[in-house]
Amino acid sequence: MPRSVLVVGAGLAGARCAETLRAEGFDGELVLVGEEPVPPYERPALSKELLAGTRTPDSLSLRPPGFWAEREITLVLGERVVRLDGAERLAVTDRGLGLQCDAVVLATGAKPRKLPFATPSGVHVLRTLGDALALQAELASARRLAIVGGGFVGAEVASTAHDLGLEVTMLEAGETPFVTVLGADVGALLAERYRRHGVDMRTNALAAAFRADGSGRVCGIELADGSAVWCDVVLVAVGVEPERSLAIATTDAQLAGDAAGGPGHWTSAAADGVAAARRILGLEPLPAQAPFFWSDQFGLRIQLVGDTRPAAAVEIEGHGSEFVARYRAADGQLVAALAANRPREVAALRAELALAA
Amino acid sequence: MYQIAIDRSLCSGFGSCAELAPDVFEVDDGGLATVRVGRSDDPAVLEAAAACPMAAIQVIEVEAA
Repeated sequence: MPRSVLVVGAGLAGARCAETLRAEGFDGELVLVGEEPVPPYERPALSKELLAGTRTPDSLSLRPPGFWAEREITLVLGERVVRLDGAERLAVTDRGLGLQCDAVVLATGAKPRKLPFATPSGVHVLRTLGDALALQAELASARRLAIVGGGFVGAEVASTAHDLGLEVTMLEAGETPFVTVLGADVGALLAERYRRHGVDMRTNALAAAFRADGSGRVCGIELADGSAVWCDVVLVAVGVEPERSLAIATTDAQLAGDAAGGPGHWTSAAADGVAAARRILGLEPLPAQAPFFWSDQFGLRIQLVGDTRPAAAVEIEGHGSEFVARYRAADGQLVAALAANRPREVAALRAELALAA
Repeated sequence: MYQIAIDRSLCSGFGSCAELAPDVFEVDDGGLATVRVGRSDDPAVLEAAAACPMAAIQVIEVEAA
């Protein structure tokens, strides 16, 4: 067992890893280093309550003040690890801080994908608390928001911005949003819901370039078909890619969370952090749980259990404002289930899924 | 004896706690977990806390009153 552990990345996976190490009896030196200047927080709230102004940054903290110090987990915040030296057992941050350790966990998360053309001011991404506060500040004085990307982050921000009174345009590159994750039928139900709330939901809409005004600020988006969308603020939400620059440099570390290339869901990041801690301590892995994901948008709470990727068919029961979708493989086996505004059915669906497995 | 608390802002209604320790946890009408009793000596609460995908359940070992 190592005498000291360094967890790089203070998101959910890193936080769960550190607290699990302590909870399972690790009594060596334990350092959690994070690039953001704040203790681990609930990232899912950024696109919803934080952006809406109904929760403050402080209230998003994953654990109460004092939690980390009580467990002798040293938080090193606002520092980005830029180099790992396996032979020297040393990590070096961008500000020149050296951190010695016997074992390293890389929970460096993911970074938002960018569009392949020039980005004027007023174009945002949403991943960190800093991103969310910057977007929030601009939404306060904006009238029209355009969102590039028809995924969950885009849909949640569209919902929040709509509630704040903005006109919202969503640009989805495909025929229907969510086709690959939820299937075309569920995607169509959701797109229909956005439209009924007044969102200008455009499909087959491929962004080609930004238009900027005389001061260099975004004023519109040109689409590949020659049309344009006018707006004051843009959110680019076209997915994320694992942050792995450190992982490439070293082979002698555990990967956890989004950096490991998982589905990017809360529960998988949390479980990954726990699993990395248990591996370090030589403990048996915990039994695997079905992946779980949820999203709140336009008055709909979507809860998804299982993995839709192997699904060949989707059965939908209900209607646009409350439904259950069952995802089945080609042999009829249930592989995932989605509940939309049917929170009381989630436990039963989860049990049904466990029986099918 | 264990003292149990749920951070309801983290709870997303997965329901594994109510399944593992039904005497202690239940899922309310809104689909979120609630604590039926704040204290219990049932070790299943430890399992429920470990199984919670949101890590929303805190269990503290306390002296029996």
